[in-house]
Amino acid sequence: MTMAYNFQIIEDCLKCTFREHRLFCDLSREALLRLQSIKATSVYPKGSLLCLEGQPPRGIFVLCTGRAKLSTTSSEGKSMILRIAEPGEVLGLTAVVSGTPYEATVETLEPSQANFISQAEFLRFIQEHPDVGLRVARQLTHNCKCAYGEIRSLGLSNSVPEKLAKLILQWAQHPLEFASKKSQETAIRVTLTQEEIAQLTGTSRETVSRVLGGFRKKGWLRVKGATWTIVNKQALENLVTT
Amino acid sequence: MNTIPLKSEAANELYASLSPELRTELANHERSVAVPAGTNLIKRGVLPDQLVIVNSGKVEITLDCAHESILLDCAMEGRVFGMRAVVSGELPEEDVTCQENCSVTLIPRDMFLKMVRQHPEMYFAIAKVLSHDLVMAQRLLKTSLRRPIRKTIAKPLGLPN
Repeated sequence: MTMAYNFQIIEDCLKCTFREHRLFCDLSREALLRLQSIKATSVYPKGSLLCLEGQPPRGIFVLCTGRAKLSTTSSEGKSMILRIAEPGEVLGLTAVVSGTPYEATVETLEPSQANFISQAEFLRFIQEHPDVGLRVARQLTHNCKCAYGEIRSLGLSNSVPEKLAKLILQWAQHPLEFASKKSQETAIRVTLTQEEIAQLTGTSRETVSRVLGGFRKKGWLRVKGATWTIVNKQALENLVTT
Repeated sequence: MNTIPLKSEAANELYASLSPELRTELANHERSVAVPAGTNLIKRGVLPDQLVIVNSGKVEITLDCAHESILLDCAMEGRVFGMRAVVSGELPEEDVTCQENCSVTLIPRDMFLKMVRQHPEMYFAIAKVLSHDLVMAQRLLKTSLRRPIRKTIAKPLGLPN
């Protein structure tokens, strides 16, 4: 068993215990054996760039452990986060399948493991293994649905407090395990900086700081380092009008 | 819808990635029709009975957002619609409407899925079509993050900003 940072490296896809819960990875044994032979496993520290927006596609990354942010830069040099990728996601898929440049820059938010597969190998892999094609289609369908959701959310959220409340409630769907089940409070782990939260909600760091300060003052939220505790979920839900 | 003669070598994003044999097999099931401006080719919340390939004419793809419609894209010949719904069985979230008189090719859903089961290599072509949809959504998302989405909606529709 190889450890890196604070997690166990999953070197053998056939032995991965998370496989069946992940959209792409739950492949047939034959396909997994092939995947094992074409992938290159790497562990990246926080802040590593996996691919750059506008770069010709080199291949895909299957994010095994850790999270990564997908961002884009405006012509004025302003960086905006499109979304946060979770373990099990395939990154760079549209670029590799359609042969167009990467749509976003992918940067790890925490120490992560990713399996890289070159474009040529991956395209061959899809064509040789029907179940891979099916998984790719499912992943693309899922990503498209998420993108539509994001577009709707941007079109509907008018105020920064509403956008932040939505984001916090979204994170609350994956609470920390140690939180008491009896308590009405929900603890979440937030590894994004206020600057990154601003990039994710299309606002400034100062505004994020002011709005979060307001949430804390009203007793809706407690922040202790990367652990945020939602004290009054109902109040946040009331902010979300759409 | 009026039935018009079949376009034999219709170039579209699906067929571009299929072998000539598969294209010929699909052609046995396709039907080309002329549709007037304003026709809803894909309707939000309704599972399409067929894949729709635009042969000529202009269509718009919109996403319902509360009381407004967000224009995702305007598309012309070669685009394929209904793929996500046909492959996943999920109801479409978007509307695809003809902006002018169009000629489209229709492939029945059941027939298409049967062919995919027989020829799973078709998934690569399907992935290409789905990628196109996703790229379109991602580009709008980027534009929306860069400037208020209402402008994104208003400009292409000719509405006041």
